[in-house]
Amino acid sequence: MWHLIRLELKKGRLTGYIWGSLIAYGVIASLLMLIYFVEGIEGADPVFQSYPDMLFLIDVLIRATFIIYASVLLSKLMINEFRDKTIGLLFAYPINRKKLIAAKLLIVFTWTFLNVIIANLLIDALLILVNSQTGYVTGPLTGELLMEHGINVLMQAFGAAGMSLLPLVLGMRKKSVSATIASSIFIVMIVCSHNLGFSLSSIIAIPLSLAALGIFLTYLSFRNIHQMDVG
Amino acid sequence: MTDIIRTRLLTKSFQSTEVVSQVNMTVKRGEIYGFLGPNGAGKSTLMKMLLGLVQPTSGEIELFGERIQPGSIEFLKRIGHLIETPVFYDKLTAEQNLELHGEYMGYYDKQAVRESLQLVQLLGVENKPVHQFSLGMKQRLAIARAISTKPELLLLDEPINGLDPEGIQDMRSLFRRLRDEWGMTILISSHLLSEIELVADTVGVIHSGRLVREVSLETVRQSTTDYVEIMTSNIKQAAFVLEEKLGARRFRQINSNTLRVYGTDLSEEALSKGLIMNDVPILSLNRRHHSLEEYFFDIVKGGGGHVASDQAGA
Repeated sequence: MWHLIRLELKKGRLTGYIWGSLIAYGVIASLLMLIYFVEGIEGADPVFQSYPDMLFLIDVLIRATFIIYASVLLSKLMINEFRDKTIGLLFAYPINRKKLIAAKLLIVFTWTFLNVIIANLLIDALLILVNSQTGYVTGPLTGELLMEHGINVLMQAFGAAGMSLLPLVLGMRKKSVSATIASSIFIVMIVCSHNLGFSLSSIIAIPLSLAALGIFLTYLSFRNIHQMDVG
Repeated sequence: MTDIIRTRLLTKSFQSTEVVSQVNMTVKRGEIYGFLGPNGAGKSTLMKMLLGLVQPTSGEIELFGERIQPGSIEFLKRIGHLIETPVFYDKLTAEQNLELHGEYMGYYDKQAVRESLQLVQLLGVENKPVHQFSLGMKQRLAIARAISTKPELLLLDEPINGLDPEGIQDMRSLFRRLRDEWGMTILISSHLLSEIELVADTVGVIHSGRLVREVSLETVRQSTTDYVEIMTSNIKQAAFVLEEKLGARRFRQINSNTLRVYGTDLSEEALSKGLIMNDVPILSLNRRHHSLEEYFFDIVKGGGGHVASDQAGA
């Protein structure tokens, strides 16, 4: 399996993915800084009222970004193989088709999972550091709070990684890149929309159930892949 | 000689239309098998079935002496292929594409990659990304990819598409070389008889999904005989004279004023003299060769043979 993953990364050029992620980190951090400085200091009703508030918003923004990013990866790794007909090459190799597909999905799942965690670590650290200088968000930042947030981020990262497979189920029907990306945006709009400190993903059962659904539906889509006619 | 490919009653339907219909095909080890048929006859679908890319609706496939089951993959190690248009990972270079292929096939040999690039004369552009290649270059590269793992069986679907005349000639000699020096068995499909005729040992003719004839080209060449074509304004009288007076029994009416006489010992002079003496007006009389093209055209038209005795006006 590792060999197949390595070949997939070789085909898609891993460095391109890494740059994409780094740019995403930068954009999220800049956006949060903008909110922090423009909205925060002057506003009567600050966006970040407490540390949990701030960490929660950072996490939501990161998950939204990487669920959509995952759909771009899925388009590149899966949909494009079908559209460009290179899937005919791939399925004529002496390799189990399920393994070939699993390698691709594992890349997307792991990529989303790791990026949500790494981005949370980096951007949380950045904003906590900045706040320690300006002191605009008040309230205690305890070890307990950070631990709790850490566990939440892990679960949310797993939820986001599972959910990120859902757009593929829709996109594969018409082998359409735009349907895949559009459905990821739709999922993000439902799950990550943030209203007065509440979003559907605050109830951890919702992202976890959606993740389970994503994994299950993806399994169903590719269960009979060895009998599928190609080209 | 053992059989490399054997299909029995192989059928594929798409939405209740039979695209390939009850095909019994046999390809022997070490031969070049020309798969001849018009566009849309089912050639690509049949080749995809051999590769497991399309599942048969019914029938059996045996490759290398073993029956292929749904989900079988081991046999794919022994096959190189080019089906329909050549596709690549366009952003990668030619060499990277071939190396990737080798890794997936479980046959990684840098030397073999270079050797196959050289055989299709693409050495020198191996570091260019494939999206900069012309169609002809892509076609060559696809052939290089197919042979880079030194497979026992090569499936080539319309391999000369997009090649210039010189390129076509190069490929022809490459295919013969692969058969003679590397011992490969090659299945080549084409809609052009002239192409198949020049490389194949055996020809399979497919039409509307049915394999209508499978025959060695040697046999075809032996049976494509000369004939004498007679144009006359009185075809009934001509047929009568030919059969009753001149003893020619194998002839066929082509249209209202043309007859073809096959396998006769009579010279053109003897025929024209005999007909004129019996008051048959002759507009023209020529000896001609029944070409391979006509032979296959007859098969496709459902004629079966070309030397049926058909009494004019009877």
